[in-house]
Amino acid sequence: MKYRWVSLVPLIAAIVLLALLPALVNNYWLRIATGALMWAGLACSWNMLGGYAGYINFGQSAFFGLGAYTSALLMGDPLSLPFFATIPAGIVVTAIFAIIIGAPTLRLRGAYFAIATWAFAEVLTQFVNVVDFTGGIGGLNLPPFLDERFFYFTMFAAAVLTYLVTWALFERSRFGLKVKALRDHEPAAEAMGINTALVKLQTFLLSAVTASVFGSIFAYWVTFINPKSVFGGDITDQMVVMVLLGGLGSLWGPAIGGVGLFVVNRLIWMNWGDTAFYIAILGAAIVLVVLFLPNGIVGLFAKRPARSGTVLDKAVNRLAGGEGGHS
Amino acid sequence: MDLFLQTLLNGLLIGGVIATFTIGFQLTFGVLHVIDFAVGGWVVLGGYLAYYMAAELGLDGFLAIPVAFVLFGMIGYLIGPVLYNVRNSRTARPELMALALTFGLFTLLRGGMLTAWGFNTHSVPTALSGESLSIGPVTVPLIRVAAAAFAASIAGGLFVFLYRTRYGLAIRATAESRQNAALMGVNIRRLSANVYGLYAGITAMAGVLMGAIYSVNPEVGLRYTLFAFFVAVLAGLGSVGGALVAALLLGVIEAFVSTYVGSSYSLLAIFGTLFLVLLVSPRGILQRGL
Repeated sequence: MKYRWVSLVPLIAAIVLLALLPALVNNYWLRIATGALMWAGLACSWNMLGGYAGYINFGQSAFFGLGAYTSALLMGDPLSLPFFATIPAGIVVTAIFAIIIGAPTLRLRGAYFAIATWAFAEVLTQFVNVVDFTGGIGGLNLPPFLDERFFYFTMFAAAVLTYLVTWALFERSRFGLKVKALRDHEPAAEAMGINTALVKLQTFLLSAVTASVFGSIFAYWVTFINPKSVFGGDITDQMVVMVLLGGLGSLWGPAIGGVGLFVVNRLIWMNWGDTAFYIAILGAAIVLVVLFLPNGIVGLFAKRPARSGTVLDKAVNRLAGGEGGHS
Repeated sequence: MDLFLQTLLNGLLIGGVIATFTIGFQLTFGVLHVIDFAVGGWVVLGGYLAYYMAAELGLDGFLAIPVAFVLFGMIGYLIGPVLYNVRNSRTARPELMALALTFGLFTLLRGGMLTAWGFNTHSVPTALSGESLSIGPVTVPLIRVAAAAFAASIAGGLFVFLYRTRYGLAIRATAESRQNAALMGVNIRRLSANVYGLYAGITAMAGVLMGAIYSVNPEVGLRYTLFAFFVAVLAGLGSVGGALVAALLLGVIEAFVSTYVGSSYSLLAIFGTLFLVLLVSPRGILQRGL
């Protein structure tokens, strides 16, 4: 599957168009575009672990929130650090937490990992709600900086970087092959000499840190954060839907799903305001995609359907006792 | 000391009610190999059924118990095969897709309930509401005693069913090894539908009790899902016997933290414990997990 240079033309055109966007549209649409870029990036961060490694993380909002809160706390009194200095700080904080959660639980079956991440996100939300230095339920204010273009370009750069790293690491390197191997058959991958625990942890770390960077930018952008707005379970829900909708484990799936769902989100918001109905739509979307479109929108256009039942797969499955996925 | 005893008793009583649906949750995991995020949704739906039967028809909340069992039993019976199909489909990662499905179901239930019934909290009136029972120095609400007694009978019945009947044997065999059970002539697909139906029915009944003890609103579903996860992790995923112990422990922890530290810390304490157990002894404190 070689990329010919011709296939890069639409991609380059899209990047040029996105770079020129601030000159073409007003601030209102620029804000929406900024949000769309953020969600495309967040969906991609979730997809690194969920799609490529096959481990579902139901607590990704925790890392988004960690980035947001680290930036907010460091930029506020008494430190008043500059914004770009707080991003690495958020990365470090997130990485520490990700290792604490990931190292023990990634060794277990995916189900335990899903519970652990979900529980971690909820613990963190509860913690931020009750302690003082985070401002509790009231949240935190950041020094306002009202330049839509700055945030658009920052988000743009972060999103492009995210996709570039994903492409290079997961689609174009040995590391990506290791990750996919362990997703498709973990015992077989281990038998090939892959240190699956380490590879999973590295992937999880990268995924968490990416979400944290977007959290930092988001906090500075909206200038006010509270536990619900950056730790809320709905944030994770949304990432999951975006990735499933676009196509699990594909490079462009999360971008398509992310931008698509975000536009739907804004349309609903414009017409009906902040409605609980959106949560129902998210849920219905997950159910329908799992049942009828397991390969997502990307799967509709794939030249050949993504197969899992290769001859080798079947043979290995039979040898391993074959109860569907290994368990 | 009185407060201590009272807290302990309260915790054990609530733990008994929690045990009913967590046993079903464990059973479902054993048979279907699916973690059911939707468990909290069924609990809340049971509570709402009781509320509407009381508010619209003027019936006592307890009358909703059999209705909840039949209604949600049927719904579960229909959902079970869908879960089974997804779990055993030939997609790259069926375990993950099944998890996503129950997560989506839970989100759909929560969003649907919020849309239909709003954020308001309702209580379920019963004949026993407001009454209390004094045993020596300890006073507990009568509704909790009745709920716990009822829960104990459900749990007892479930254990008898699982350990003393042929069909119960088939369920346990399937939980132990699906392949061997299938070779012995168990129709796994139909059994999955039955187990999920049974579990959904029992969970909705527990929801009626929870609604009568506390109150019901769409957001508390999250709490019950957490309870089920907590019990599952402490007991080890799939362990039915451990679920009873872990549920009682959960009730006691919650009661003590609420009484002595503050109710806003109870969720934090539960999550913290859950998390610690995952870090220290991930297959459950009883080392019984699958």
